[in-house]
Amino acid sequence: MAAFSRRHVLMGGAASLAASALRISPVSAADDALYAAAKKEGALNLYWGSYEQKTIEEIRDAFKAKYPGIEVSLLRQASQTIFTRLRLEIQNDAVQCDSIGTTNLLHYKDLQKLGAIQPFKPTNIDMVPEAFRSIDPENTYHVGAISLTTINQSTSVNAPPTSWTALLDAPWANQITTGSPAFSGDVASWVVAIRKKYGDDFLRAFTKQKPKVGQSNVDTVTDILSGERKVGSAAPFSYSLTQQAAGNPIGVTVPSDDAILNLGLTAVPTKAPHPNAGKLFTDFLYSVEVSNILAKNFWPTLRTDVPWAEGRTLESIKWYRNPVDNLAAEVAEGIAKWKEIVG
Amino acid sequence: MASSPSVSAARSASVGYRRHHAFRLIVLVILLAVLALLIVQPLGWIVFNSFHDDDTGQWTLRNYVQIFASTSRWVPLFNSLLLATAVAVISTLLGVPLAWLVARTDMPMRGFIHLLTMAAFVTPSFIGALGWILLAAPNSGWLNVGWRALSGADWPLLNIYSMIGTIFVCSIFTVPYTFTLVSSALEEMPVELEDAATTLGSGVVKTMFSVTIPLVMPAVLVGFILSFIQGMTLFGVPAFLLTPSGTLVVTTKLAEFYQLFPPALYMSAAYCMPLIAITGMLFYARRRILGRRQFTTVGGKGRAGRKIRLKGWRLPALAFALIVPITAVVLPYIAIVLVSLSRAWGLGPIPSNLTLHWYRWAIFENAETQRAIVNSLLYAGIAASFCMIIGILVAYIVERKLLRGAGLIAALVTIPIIIPGIVLSVGFFSAYTRQPLNLYGTATIIIAAFVATFLPIAYSQAGSILKGISPDLERAARSVGATEARTFASITAPLMRGGLVAGWLLVFIPIMRELSVAIFLVSPRTNVMTTLIYNYKDGGNYEAVCAASALLLFATLIVVLLARFVTEGAAYRRRNAASLGAAP
Repeated sequence: MAAFSRRHVLMGGAASLAASALRISPVSAADDALYAAAKKEGALNLYWGSYEQKTIEEIRDAFKAKYPGIEVSLLRQASQTIFTRLRLEIQNDAVQCDSIGTTNLLHYKDLQKLGAIQPFKPTNIDMVPEAFRSIDPENTYHVGAISLTTINQSTSVNAPPTSWTALLDAPWANQITTGSPAFSGDVASWVVAIRKKYGDDFLRAFTKQKPKVGQSNVDTVTDILSGERKVGSAAPFSYSLTQQAAGNPIGVTVPSDDAILNLGLTAVPTKAPHPNAGKLFTDFLYSVEVSNILAKNFWPTLRTDVPWAEGRTLESIKWYRNPVDNLAAEVAEGIAKWKEIVG
Repeated sequence: MASSPSVSAARSASVGYRRHHAFRLIVLVILLAVLALLIVQPLGWIVFNSFHDDDTGQWTLRNYVQIFASTSRWVPLFNSLLLATAVAVISTLLGVPLAWLVARTDMPMRGFIHLLTMAAFVTPSFIGALGWILLAAPNSGWLNVGWRALSGADWPLLNIYSMIGTIFVCSIFTVPYTFTLVSSALEEMPVELEDAATTLGSGVVKTMFSVTIPLVMPAVLVGFILSFIQGMTLFGVPAFLLTPSGTLVVTTKLAEFYQLFPPALYMSAAYCMPLIAITGMLFYARRRILGRRQFTTVGGKGRAGRKIRLKGWRLPALAFALIVPITAVVLPYIAIVLVSLSRAWGLGPIPSNLTLHWYRWAIFENAETQRAIVNSLLYAGIAASFCMIIGILVAYIVERKLLRGAGLIAALVTIPIIIPGIVLSVGFFSAYTRQPLNLYGTATIIIAAFVATFLPIAYSQAGSILKGISPDLERAARSVGATEARTFASITAPLMRGGLVAGWLLVFIPIMRELSVAIFLVSPRTNVMTTLIYNYKDGGNYEAVCAASALLLFATLIVVLLARFVTEGAAYRRRNAASLGAAP
């Protein structure tokens, strides 16, 4: 495990070297003006559901260190709770949030419809992988996190399933743990993707394997670590790697028929009390500092010039992202089919 | 006074009468205003919301129609009824004898059992469920692993992922309600009545069932109802234990509503209305059962602290009394503490895996946890105190029938507890996030929500105690010229003291472990332990979850011990005073 941490330190160092080689100044000219405006506002209220407590706290602390003079408050709750709260704030005309970050695109479609998030272009958005640079033509929301859904397995498994379809093979009967799409957005994305790839037949065969269905996809890790089940389907990539790095007996397999990529997004509410601070934070998300923090915590980075942990990159992984059109209906249909077939 | 001329006596009596009525009016007006703000307004919003459409925001009855139109909507209601009834029955069957054994007999280890039963109360239910997953999951649960090793069987002895498992876990964590209510009533009861039965040849068990338990019936019934409500409103246990079998209950169904697009907040509000009707029926039944019967146990005489001798039954009684402490505290906390002391809990409790890192981190390194511990203790302390003040006033008005329509106030204060926290949270948000009362982001909004949610416990406990105190004592004071306020302050309140501390704990502890009602109300500055622990759970950091839970347990137990110290001190002084009074 020591090797891991050394590697991270080296990797962090390499990233900083790369940053200085590319002459990325700590605060850009545009940021200077924005920083001045944000400093005048004096405060920043973050409502974030993407990233677990530890990572988002590190990002907050790095922001505070880089931009002194802004009082930062972080409310970290589950994505849907954050979204519901912002909606309640909007309904009651009491918006406190300056930057929302959640894992579900549908939140932003809804907020956009309400005219509740404001358009702006982050200054360093060009450092983001091209596929995620202009996800909203109106520029009201931007990428905030990249989340991958894969397979995870106990280290006692010598030959883990290498694809989603391999999960349907005989050895994995009574051995699979998974989350519920009715409770977890990531699992819902996985169900939509798997139905697109293989149709409802997959769900029928999957049911025959008698999977244990928990609530969140995090429960897959719990079941594997406790020894209740051996293989996790629709499992969280980054979180499983974090647990592995902590020394837990768990491994991750990126399925050959694609990891399912779900984008976390971020926006600044139209009625944000400190909009400039909110925008400055979005800019900061695409900084080298934040990507280093993400790599350290096994999250995919938001910059093309900062590799992920263990040298992975977006290009080195085969991934699939659900098409955006009609997503709301597909999620609802996916959950309904799951309930009908899996239970 | 006696020597004053009669005219001046009449005048002063009339001034006293007017003053007394003015005081009574002021207290009533303030109380009603507080209740309107705390309960009527948020509940009003929930009812208002229930008649609106989540998609269009228009008025509609559709939410109510939909509850009964599809099986997927009413089956969770049915499951919850089943779960809640079973939990109430089991908690009563375990809790009442346990309370009797601890409060009235010479069973060994009474203090230890009392403390551990309170510890079960402190544990947030999702932590208890987590502990039991580690113990009794079909494949990996330690108890099942042990069973297979011993018996050679290839099937699990226990399956915690079942309705029975869920009922079991909910019940053992609910017993403390009945236990606390009934033991505090028993402690206030005189032993003469039991002595009379024994003199007439009744055995210990017969006396318990024919004299003791009937006398503490108000407390038993309140315990039953609170356990039922607990079974209805718990989220953590069914979420963990029933999801794998695809069984939904009201709270997990509500969680599903909140996951929809847009979140079905109005549908959720309508979904809670049948719960209010069910709880209403329970409280009505309680009134019918208790009816005009007398439960006066505190008369003018003092009480003796003598215990009933169990003789040969001491050890079997101890075995029974250990059920809750062992299943709700010892076993799950072994699991929880082991996880909290691990670097990586999946490696198990091997020496190289042990660390105090998570405690160091929670206590010294992480500002969020430090702030949340202080906030939790502070808010729970303030809210429990307000709860008791309001609860006593309402109970006094209702029990002593000081106001016409007092029954309506009683019904009103009992409603919030049945509404699952996540729905109440939205009601409070709507009520307190608009001018002129914009409290959003402050500690006040959280304390207010806690007070309103747990007021029914305070009110029920105060009501049970008052039922046991003879109005004769108050009448005696009034007849010698004391005002209502003075009578209350110098006669009723001191007699209630022991029960009030128990009542305060009964409110304080559930607030410490409450999660959902704070969910839309906490701000980064006003975060509490449970919301933080849930975040760590959400992020899968179980070592931090377990360390924080152990700290939460520790902090609450200190308060429980302090409270016991206060009550026992009071009881000691009372006994001393009684013996001094009895001396010639």
